[in-house]
Amino acid sequence: MKDFRKEKVNYNYKKILRFFGYGVLTVLGMVFLTGVLNIIFLISAAVAYVNTDSSYIQGGKVMEALTPTESGYELDGEMAEEFERQDQWAMLLDQTGQVIWSIRKPEELEDQYTQSDIARMSKWYLKGYPVQMRVWDDRIMIVGMQREMMWKYNIEFSISWMDFVKRTFWVFFFINFVWIVVLAFIFTRRFTKKRERARIEWIAGISHDIRTPLSMVMGYSDTLEHAEELPEEARQQASVIRHQSVVMKELISDLNLTSQLEYSMQTLRKEETRPAEIVRAVAVSFLNDAMPGMLEIEMEIDESGEQMVVKADRQLLVRAFRNLINNSVKHGGQADTVKIKISLWEEKRKCYIRFQDNGVGYSEEVLRRLQGRKKEGDAENIRGLEIVRKIILAHGGKIGFGNCEEGGGYCVILFPNRLK
Amino acid sequence: MNLYDCKILLVDDERALREMVYGFLQRAGFHQVAMAGNCKEAEKLFPDTEPHLILLDVMLPDGDGFSLLRKLRQISEVPVIFLSARDEDESRLRGLGLGADDYITKPFLPEELILRVTAVLKRVYRVKGVQEEEKIALGNCMVDLGSGVVHWNDSENKNQNGAANGEYDREGEVALTAKEYAILQKLAQERGRIVTIDALCDAVWQEENFGYENTLVVHIRRLREKIEEDPSHPQYLLTVRGLGYRLV
Repeated sequence: MKDFRKEKVNYNYKKILRFFGYGVLTVLGMVFLTGVLNIIFLISAAVAYVNTDSSYIQGGKVMEALTPTESGYELDGEMAEEFERQDQWAMLLDQTGQVIWSIRKPEELEDQYTQSDIARMSKWYLKGYPVQMRVWDDRIMIVGMQREMMWKYNIEFSISWMDFVKRTFWVFFFINFVWIVVLAFIFTRRFTKKRERARIEWIAGISHDIRTPLSMVMGYSDTLEHAEELPEEARQQASVIRHQSVVMKELISDLNLTSQLEYSMQTLRKEETRPAEIVRAVAVSFLNDAMPGMLEIEMEIDESGEQMVVKADRQLLVRAFRNLINNSVKHGGQADTVKIKISLWEEKRKCYIRFQDNGVGYSEEVLRRLQGRKKEGDAENIRGLEIVRKIILAHGGKIGFGNCEEGGGYCVILFPNRLK
Repeated sequence: MNLYDCKILLVDDERALREMVYGFLQRAGFHQVAMAGNCKEAEKLFPDTEPHLILLDVMLPDGDGFSLLRKLRQISEVPVIFLSARDEDESRLRGLGLGADDYITKPFLPEELILRVTAVLKRVYRVKGVQEEEKIALGNCMVDLGSGVVHWNDSENKNQNGAANGEYDREGEVALTAKEYAILQKLAQERGRIVTIDALCDAVWQEENFGYENTLVVHIRRLREKIEEDPSHPQYLLTVRGLGYRLV
């Protein structure tokens, strides 16, 4: 085994994370904010509208304010004023249910209460008066309000019911949370998809509209270049126009392809393809067009690599491999002869392809950008390599770039969807 | 029939482009070129001109080239080359299986256009171009691609090359097998250029050719025995390691 096969293949999930995170975090933030706003609104509305003073005077405090006298009890003056101010009343019952003291007690109320009366009023109302009881030694202090001042209700639940609520509460909370995340994801996705589609169509439209006029620039400049009746200088100029129009043609199709791959709109026309065959065809087309001695391509395809079949868009793979070799040819001009070594092998049921050249290698800046760690930059033009990366990622593959110790750069591609 | 007697119908809505392509075709020697600017015109012109080939733009003002082709296919098997202005058309063309013979993506260079047009015409009508070679000379031997026979040291050949190669001097004729013939024909078509193993297998076994690499090696060896003076040190049919073969 060659040691380069152990090299880590770099790729990133960042884009997906960024995309997923952005929409979902926004919506979660909005949900949270809505919750907080609701609570704030509720509290402030309550403060504004509800009479918060309407609570019972505490029975215990009344007891403490009471002092026994020979004729009965006497209430502290302050407490008596309190009863007056809050329009409440109170009475004290002894063991037998006899009222032994009272203050502001409504007249319709009796002076003697049976056990059943006491039991009833402890839960409900006393003749429509809301009351609160406080047991003090052997006596009962009853503090009451005027009718229609207080709403009371007894609540009782079985323990199993309470248990159920306790348990299901978190489950429901979790389900709702997930549901919100999913909804948020779907909605943001739909929204961004629509916008992206518009942009892609716009770019496709432009590239379409440029092609026809460019055809004429290309065609006629080529005609002029070959027109023997023209002076040499004019033909040279026509040649420059033709060359540049070819560059423009490439730029346009790059632009179009990049925009489609960026948003994974390019419908991959996947078919069963043999990477070995594609790599060879691409290599040969370069060798056939190269000046003698300028380019050497060494192939290293073992038996398993030869037989490998992956599901891929053949046209795009050709494009990717062409770009890689093209990059090596363009920037690999360290030595007189550009040497490229292409290896293809199978490992752990995955298809690996490695391109290595004898050029100057990739700069730190380029490597950073190719790993997607840096978005923009104009130090070097790596459009071609970006397209390679996008093509491979669109196929669910992984791609890594790096420099060899002995000089030159390499690129490793991994296809997971090996068929045979 | 001469290649340049073939009639071509050119359908494109852009007048300037139409005229340019017309010029290219004329200059290349095709003197019978008709032009149409939309589907209707093309349909009207078709029965009158009876073209041997149609150059068809995908985007036309009154419908697209695909549907026009579908219509034409009902009445004719005429070869069609699409002129498309979109990258995506490429995949549509491949996917639709409409029976287009080729497609050219705009913008294109004149040579590319002429090359494709002649290639399709040659393939479909088996017409011969002006400088089409029937025989290929490989040193002391001459391969006749018409009959598939290798002639060693023909009298005319001998005069040029002499019998300097002494011990390898061979005479007589050897016939090529069908497979050897297919290999040699493919290599001769691309003479001087490397042809990949895969392309050779394609040429010999057409479909489902995967796994024939080893068989190919055997055929190449036999072929060398017939055309090379020293098959173990080939001079003409060269191996390009890991990639394919080349006929020099």
